[in-house]
Amino acid sequence: MLWVDKHRPKTLDQIIVHEEVAQNLKKLVTEQDCPHLLFYGPTGSGKKTLIMALLRQMFGPGAEKVKVENKTWKVDAGSRTIDLDLTTLSSTHHVELNPSDAGFQDRYIVQEIIKEMAKNRPIDTKGKKGYKVLVLNEVDKLSREAQHSLRRTMEKYSASCRLILCCNSSSKVTEAIRSRCLNVRIHAPTEEQIVKVLEFIGNKEGVQLPSGLAARIAEKSNRSLRRAILSFETCRVQQYPFTSNQAIPPMDWEEYVSEIASDIMKEQSPKRLFQVRGKLYELLINCIPPEIILKRLLFELLKKLDAELKHEVCHWAAYYEHRMRLGQKSIFHMEAFVAKFMSIYKAFLIATFG
Amino acid sequence: MVMGKRSTIIISSSDDEKKDPLWNSSRSNSKSKSKSSVRGTNPRGSKKARLSDSRSRLCNDSSNVNEITLFCEDFDDGFSGFKVSTGSGKSSRKDLWVDKYKPRSLEELAVHKKKVEEVKVWFEERLKATREEFCNHVLVITGQAGVGKSATIQVIASHLKARVCEWNTPTPTIWQEHMHNSNAGIRYTSKLDEFESFVERIRKYGLVQSSFTGELKSSVILLIDDLPVTNGKVAYGRLYNCLHLLVRSTRIPTAILITDYGKSDSADHPARSFEELQLSLENAGACKVAFNPITTNSIKKTLSRICRQEQCNVTAEQIDLIAKASGGDIRHAITSLQYFCLKPDPMRSLSLSNPTTSYSKEKSDELNPLDDGFSLPFGRDETLSLFHALGKFLHNKRETEYSIASDQDAFLVRERFTRLPLKMDAPEKVLCQAHGQARPIADFLHENVLDFLNEEAIDDAWAVASYLSDADFLLATLRGMIARNHEADSVVQSAAASVAVRGVLFGNSHPLPSRWHSIRRPNLWHVEQSSSHNKFELLRQRFCAYNGLSSFNASVIATEYTPVLKWLGYREPEDLEPHQVMMRGNETENDNFDGMSLDDQEGKISEDEIEDW
Repeated sequence: MLWVDKHRPKTLDQIIVHEEVAQNLKKLVTEQDCPHLLFYGPTGSGKKTLIMALLRQMFGPGAEKVKVENKTWKVDAGSRTIDLDLTTLSSTHHVELNPSDAGFQDRYIVQEIIKEMAKNRPIDTKGKKGYKVLVLNEVDKLSREAQHSLRRTMEKYSASCRLILCCNSSSKVTEAIRSRCLNVRIHAPTEEQIVKVLEFIGNKEGVQLPSGLAARIAEKSNRSLRRAILSFETCRVQQYPFTSNQAIPPMDWEEYVSEIASDIMKEQSPKRLFQVRGKLYELLINCIPPEIILKRLLFELLKKLDAELKHEVCHWAAYYEHRMRLGQKSIFHMEAFVAKFMSIYKAFLIATFG
Repeated sequence: MVMGKRSTIIISSSDDEKKDPLWNSSRSNSKSKSKSSVRGTNPRGSKKARLSDSRSRLCNDSSNVNEITLFCEDFDDGFSGFKVSTGSGKSSRKDLWVDKYKPRSLEELAVHKKKVEEVKVWFEERLKATREEFCNHVLVITGQAGVGKSATIQVIASHLKARVCEWNTPTPTIWQEHMHNSNAGIRYTSKLDEFESFVERIRKYGLVQSSFTGELKSSVILLIDDLPVTNGKVAYGRLYNCLHLLVRSTRIPTAILITDYGKSDSADHPARSFEELQLSLENAGACKVAFNPITTNSIKKTLSRICRQEQCNVTAEQIDLIAKASGGDIRHAITSLQYFCLKPDPMRSLSLSNPTTSYSKEKSDELNPLDDGFSLPFGRDETLSLFHALGKFLHNKRETEYSIASDQDAFLVRERFTRLPLKMDAPEKVLCQAHGQARPIADFLHENVLDFLNEEAIDDAWAVASYLSDADFLLATLRGMIARNHEADSVVQSAAASVAVRGVLFGNSHPLPSRWHSIRRPNLWHVEQSSSHNKFELLRQRFCAYNGLSSFNASVIATEYTPVLKWLGYREPEDLEPHQVMMRGNETENDNFDGMSLDDQEGKISEDEIEDW
């Protein structure tokens, strides 16, 4: 088991990084009145850990006994029926799902499936908790229609069901939903906090961690705790005992993106564009989300770019990122960005060097 | 409609060689020859003469007919129809010109001389030589509809004084009829069965010559004009085997005619299987002759000959127009001409058609220039294959200079936005002809367009890419309203297709000189498929390994967990291997590309390859 999973705090009491939040949540739940919750914050800040711990607090260890189901739902949408494949993770007390997986059909999931689950009030012999919990991931990726349906669902079934929503950015969640939830902002851990966690894990694992290396890992992790722990473990595998200046292995896809970036800088031609497309395809095949690829690519390109071009390039990156979200096939837009960059850069090279 | 007409008309015209179901004796051929010479001088008179002539000949023939039916029951249908209608031989004046002016001599054939000669020599050799000299006795003739395949065989046969024994597909059984028959105890036999047994008989016994009383000596040509339509692999396999046996063992010179549908609809399954069939026949030792579409000139020649004989007043320009519109299909051209001459006032239509004529002169394109604005009564609506259309867009052929028309354009465009006029119809029209749907069109263009850009022109690449991005955006706006509004749906679809196509045409401002390119199937489809597959696998493994206790987010897993797992050398379940494509190091990269290019090749083979036009 990876350290990330192994040392994940199981209960709210064990939580180190967002201790205050955890304690508040604990109070909230023990008073038996739990509103809908919306957790938001950057990746690797510990939202999911908090949610899992919260569930455990609510339902006891039973919440950890989960099973994975991949089920096809038949949704009746007016004149026709739609088949939806959805993977859910459920225990007796809660169901976790990822409605945005259904793409543009997400509103059916929200309307029908969630309604279906919310309707069935769990029968509890002890009469303790009269509600079920639905954990929805990536709410910010839901379409507008789906979010509207979600709002109705929240109101209608609030007696029997609590929703825990989880997303990266609350700005993409409609006001209506936000106002119906208790918003919990989970900020990214500071580097000191990360170092603290790394040292804690190091102790547990019996590993000597030089503080220099810990600091560097924290710095490299971009304030993502998960990232930090993962690279800590890779460092451990790569070289032990640690030296404080040892190299931290980068993610392979990031290296690949920087390779693409240097390809782009070297030559600007349709042929090269075609090669770049092939490499982008490869990233996509490996499930790297296109938004992340584009962001990383921009990051790598900016590193090597002259200051006067940065503004324009950023503009186009934003433009095509927006397009990508509106559009259907991300490669069209990524490629347009690369082509635009090549065109700008080539013009620049010609202007500077003749 | 045409078919119905035809069947009544056959009766009246004696020398309809094609429909004469079994054979044309040399006798009837000589007659028809003499007749045609008569007709040259006085068409009206000759027609009457011919009619009476035909009746007499029919009477003569019918005695033979009965005998033939004994061993060739398959033709029963045709004959009974023939006989029944002989009684009502009425419509002598309503002759279809297609039948009336069937070629009677080698000179009259509009088919290219060389091809005719080739076929003629082949038959001559087979007919004259003693049986054992040649091992192959099958000739496969391919070509579009209406290029004169059957006519050539008939004319050559008559020239060589050979009888043509023809297989015509029997009338199909209708379901109701079948129900009726099955009550009466008649078993249904599929047409394929009938064909098989026909071929079997031919193979085993040849055509039983002795029963022909009259011309024992005359040689026989077997003509298989109409291969049974096969549906599905099994039926196709049977047809294939049966033809194979025929090629191997027949002793009679046999011509198999295969109509090429390839150009019009590449996705058509039977067309493809016919192609395969043709190849395999060739491999089995059959000789193949491909007929090309008939040239405009020889169609024109034929048409003006008919005009002279019919004494219609058709100008050379109009003939030219009809000939061009026919797309090398002479049967169609003649029918159009007849229809055109039916018009009460041909002069009026002349004035109508004038502008189009000049238009068609301007354009050297082989595309049908007619249905642009004017709906002239003739002209086939041509269809294009998707690949043909894509080729047009990608090659982006343009005129070398502005024509006069565009100088008078109302609005002036800045120089960097101007493009030379296209050497094709409006892109939307081409799209329409290719039945192109927006999404696949966009995908195909996206996949292939970079190959057609100038090596230096990265700005063009950007322009093209941005237009494709626009098109994708338009296509995505459908998402919300698929169920709701079909009209809006189709408008957005066509707008997107238009943007994609015109974007490619406009953006590629420095088109390469045309050279050969194969068009690839979009790799994107493959990528999408394997991406979603991988995603599912990732999630599944994640669940299995950690029992759902950890993160649920595919992107997080892909970007953070899997790279680390790879580093750590975790090789948990074996099925991780094939999906995790390592991205470091050159040799692994190549591996991966191999995987893709394999697929690529497959795509290339299975799809058409386009040469440039």
